[in-house]
Amino acid sequence: MADTTTGSTVDTHCPYCSLQCGMRLRAPESRRGSRRGPEVETWPEFPTNRGGLCRKGWSSVELLGHRERLTTPLARDPDTGELAPTDWDDALDRVATALRTTQETHGRDAVGLFGGGGLTNEKAYALGKFARVALRTSAIDYNGRWCMSSAATAGQLAFGLDRGLPFPLADLAETNLLVLVGSNLSETMPPAARHLTTLLDRGRPLIVIDPRRTPTAERATLHLQLVPGTDLALAHGIVHSLLAQGYVDQDFVERRTTGFDDVRRLVASYWPEHVERITGVAAPDITRAARMIGEASTAMVLTARGAEQHATGTDNVLAWINVALAAGHAGRTYAGYGCLTGQGNGQGGREHGQKADQLPGYRRIDDEDARRHVAAVWGVDPDTIPGPGRSAYEMLDALGTDDGVRSLLVFGSNPIVSAPNASHVAERLDALDFLCVADFVLSETAARADVVLPVTQWAEETGTLTNLEGRVILRRKAVDPPAGVRSDLDVLAALSERLGPGGGLIGTDPEEVFAELGRASAGGPADYSGVDYDRITREQGVFWPCPAPDHPGTPRLFLDRFATPDGRARFHAVDHRGPAEPPCADYPLHLTTGRILAHYQSGAQTRRVRELAEAAPEKFVELHPMTAERLDIYDTQRVRITTRRAATIAPARLSPHVRPDTVFMPFHWVGANLLTNDALDPRSRMPEFKVCAARVEPA
Amino acid sequence: MTVRGRTVRERLVVVGNGMAATRLVEDLVRREAPYDITVIGDEPHPAYNRILLSAVLEEAHRPEDIWLHEPRWYDDHGVRLLLGQRAVRVDRERRRVGLSDGGGCEYDRLVFATGARPVLPPIRGIVDEFGGLRPDVHAFRSYADYGRLREAASTARRAVVVGGGLLGLQVGRALSVVGVDTEIVEVGPMLMARQLGGSAARVLERQVRRLGTEVYTGARAARLTADGMLLDNGYALTTDLVVLACGSRPASRLAERAGLFVRRGVVVDDRLTSIIDDRVHAIGDCAEHRARIHGFVGPAWEQATTLARVLCGEDAGYSGSRIVARLRANGLDVAVLGEPETTDGEVVEVANPLAGTYRKLVVKDGVVAAGVLLGDLSRIGVITQHYDRQTALGAAEPGGLLLGDSAAAPVTELPDDAQVCVCAGVSAGRIRRCRDVSEAVATTRATTGCGSCAGSVAQLVDAGANDGSHNAAAAV
Repeated sequence: MADTTTGSTVDTHCPYCSLQCGMRLRAPESRRGSRRGPEVETWPEFPTNRGGLCRKGWSSVELLGHRERLTTPLARDPDTGELAPTDWDDALDRVATALRTTQETHGRDAVGLFGGGGLTNEKAYALGKFARVALRTSAIDYNGRWCMSSAATAGQLAFGLDRGLPFPLADLAETNLLVLVGSNLSETMPPAARHLTTLLDRGRPLIVIDPRRTPTAERATLHLQLVPGTDLALAHGIVHSLLAQGYVDQDFVERRTTGFDDVRRLVASYWPEHVERITGVAAPDITRAARMIGEASTAMVLTARGAEQHATGTDNVLAWINVALAAGHAGRTYAGYGCLTGQGNGQGGREHGQKADQLPGYRRIDDEDARRHVAAVWGVDPDTIPGPGRSAYEMLDALGTDDGVRSLLVFGSNPIVSAPNASHVAERLDALDFLCVADFVLSETAARADVVLPVTQWAEETGTLTNLEGRVILRRKAVDPPAGVRSDLDVLAALSERLGPGGGLIGTDPEEVFAELGRASAGGPADYSGVDYDRITREQGVFWPCPAPDHPGTPRLFLDRFATPDGRARFHAVDHRGPAEPPCADYPLHLTTGRILAHYQSGAQTRRVRELAEAAPEKFVELHPMTAERLDIYDTQRVRITTRRAATIAPARLSPHVRPDTVFMPFHWVGANLLTNDALDPRSRMPEFKVCAARVEPA
Repeated sequence: MTVRGRTVRERLVVVGNGMAATRLVEDLVRREAPYDITVIGDEPHPAYNRILLSAVLEEAHRPEDIWLHEPRWYDDHGVRLLLGQRAVRVDRERRRVGLSDGGGCEYDRLVFATGARPVLPPIRGIVDEFGGLRPDVHAFRSYADYGRLREAASTARRAVVVGGGLLGLQVGRALSVVGVDTEIVEVGPMLMARQLGGSAARVLERQVRRLGTEVYTGARAARLTADGMLLDNGYALTTDLVVLACGSRPASRLAERAGLFVRRGVVVDDRLTSIIDDRVHAIGDCAEHRARIHGFVGPAWEQATTLARVLCGEDAGYSGSRIVARLRANGLDVAVLGEPETTDGEVVEVANPLAGTYRKLVVKDGVVAAGVLLGDLSRIGVITQHYDRQTALGAAEPGGLLLGDSAAAPVTELPDDAQVCVCAGVSAGRIRRCRDVSEAVATTRATTGCGSCAGSVAQLVDAGANDGSHNAAAAV
């Protein structure tokens, strides 16, 4: 491990998205006591990004030693109502007392935990264990529900296993056709787009499906600019055209799948001109896309939030999986369906137990064998482990109600900005008896807390994450945390001591916690038991499942069989329902939301980095010049955008790259999610972030 | 219905097994509607997508993939399917449908979804001595028609299609694509006379001819003889087969004989219920709603879905449909929104006969009320959405929608503040001030993210080197 006081370097990873780009941090050549932070350098050998970094990565060190950094616990003064500094013992005592009182008065499930997809595997695992063993509450979930849960659910249904990409990211460059559905890769994870460059340089086509002509769509061989919320109908139109033109891989369908007959009958009603009417994509473009997919010898279909964040998100993904399966593009090298996970640890964060229905190793909490195995690792009676709890939005929706959570702990999340129908979520948070937030800056959610605990951040702590490829990577400590800050593991350990089960329940050494996580995951779908810190370092990450120390890990899944009981992938005959909230006379436009390059998630980190804040200082409403002319709006003018839930004001940004019937808003600031619809997907419980009906007018 | 506290499932009989009937049954099954359903289909095979038949004829769609449901699907959902059976009479007193095999079935609710029948034009010589069509004369509506025509087309060298509407053009093009020398005869003054005006039709006609199909407009096919099809303008078109595509009329005879109120179709109210018998309903091409018969699948499906809701006791109503007629034929791109020739409004049109394009929108109170897109469908996905949603547009918007996007400026002409490297946030001006690419990479981090701007960065640096702007920048 590098010495952090000299000019030496540490190989580590970026704090932001699911790519987890490898980067080198060089400690400043200076003496002790210097206020200068480390510098970012490239780590060209790391295969996922091959030295590429975006401006978020380059500027990430600015968060270290930031002036808004929290370094002392805060507690709300009952007299003034203001947050005031206190010491750790007092803060932890307050939290423990509040939790105990709530559970005694209202029952175990009245205490809830809300986690995040940016937390390390060790923290996610510890949170789940803390909830199930120390608190014995079923109320635990995390913001990953709002990320890729629809793709996760669909992956389970179709393949029997959910791992974002079933192949290394670098395979993108080697396939013969790439289909991106609702992904703006060039802007949201620029280093990944290097693989697009290689693909295009090889003369291989790229199809992009997006309501906006994004920088990614700009590079596409074929861009299908669909109406928001019609992804599923478009996929059916493509399967229809594959069938019509004889491009279905009958041999693959027969040997390696089930359920195609129902899909085949269903899509007979999705002929191109009919799909054109639903999706707003011209029929000739639909048949052309099908021809490209049918003619490619290998192809990949990747979905991202654009297709997934809908009340029909799971079905949307299943329909796109149908496309890949029908054309035989799955279960082979350089071919397959994958999901471009968003959050830093979006993958690992959904595998180790911070999800309401789940135990470590991607096990189901209602599976008796899983409960027995995990209970044995934890040294508890399986019957004491609670059953499944409410999903993220449902938990937040019931906060402060009679049968809901009354005291909540939040780790690594800022739901006031990131939840749909956010003003309602703010109301629910205010209805709590007690709110504790662990964060390293005073996020919008932390500002409403009764107790705020300052915790370590990236580069001040060591831990593993699992990136979008299913590669377990090690993010190493490069600098010492400021005085007064503790790690999340320390906080959970201290709380569990105060709450009764005694010391040792939660480990505080990440490497030891990881070893325990490995044992708990052994035999589960996401088996980490053969992974350790040394292997990760030596092998530049290890792909799960890796069930033994001498197992090489699994960079490519499904080559011989899918993870279903019969080894076959499943087609799903899902029907088009369309957006939960279609436009109407009062709200005549589609509103879609998304990310921009300069920011990450709720912006709690990136809005505090000067370079990024200057590049993108505030939210905006992107609309087509024709739409703007109709509404008498000029570029940069402040406009009011209103939905059935709320209104917000932002400057207009005119762009011919958005459909004239659609407006776009980034969600990194308070605003967009006041407007979004909280209609949920019945299976993944994903809210409909990507489309609702809106009205825009001069402010 | 409840009898002495017990729920009794009503018997629902659907006459017809086409696209409207199938959608109705699907929707009832999905809603778990409390009916014992019987479907009577006079064709021998299960339901198929009729819209695809011309594509199948054109060999653009495989015939085995047009089926909507296998018989097993009906069994699985407890629906009784009677195939190859015709409903021959309806006794509304006894609420009983008589079948062609002598049997019958009783109903509590009856749905007519009998579709339409081809209109046979008054051409002498097309009928044989038994009153049927001669072997070389074809209609084109059912799967059987398709099978017969396909077989004939495999040996025919020449064909005449009578009728220059949507169907005639589709069949004509399909025959031509599979190698039959095809001519189209239209009695009206132009192709697609119901939908198009003169200039649009001329552009279309030219395009059809360019594709190798001869067109005779304003000419009546008068007589089929051994010499071929004789037209009333004196032409004689030698041919091996004739296809009649002269429109269709609602198949409403059965309903009429049952004493229901029938004008052209079975007259129904907004609940798709006969105005004289509330146990009887009609949907699709046989139904006449607010004096309209649509003849398109979109409205038929909307009616089917509405009727399913009505039958489930919901407060649902059908108030008409907006229609986009799309020609499905190789090499012909045509979309007609509503009725552009008869709808009132301001007309915005762009025609380029040289490029084979014609586009027109009829705008009323800012809303697209009708339109034609011919030869260029690049904006159809936005225009039909505005039409379907009745979006109120700005004054310049319809014109903007009809004009294409302007081409992007070359990289070297980008203004200084335009962003070139999105990943690192670097402007064209910053790059112009660099001496070479490596300086640009080192000082701005351009190209270090996704790498896609490498070409633009090199071009900008080169252009800067040529115009001497480096020196200017150095002086600043």
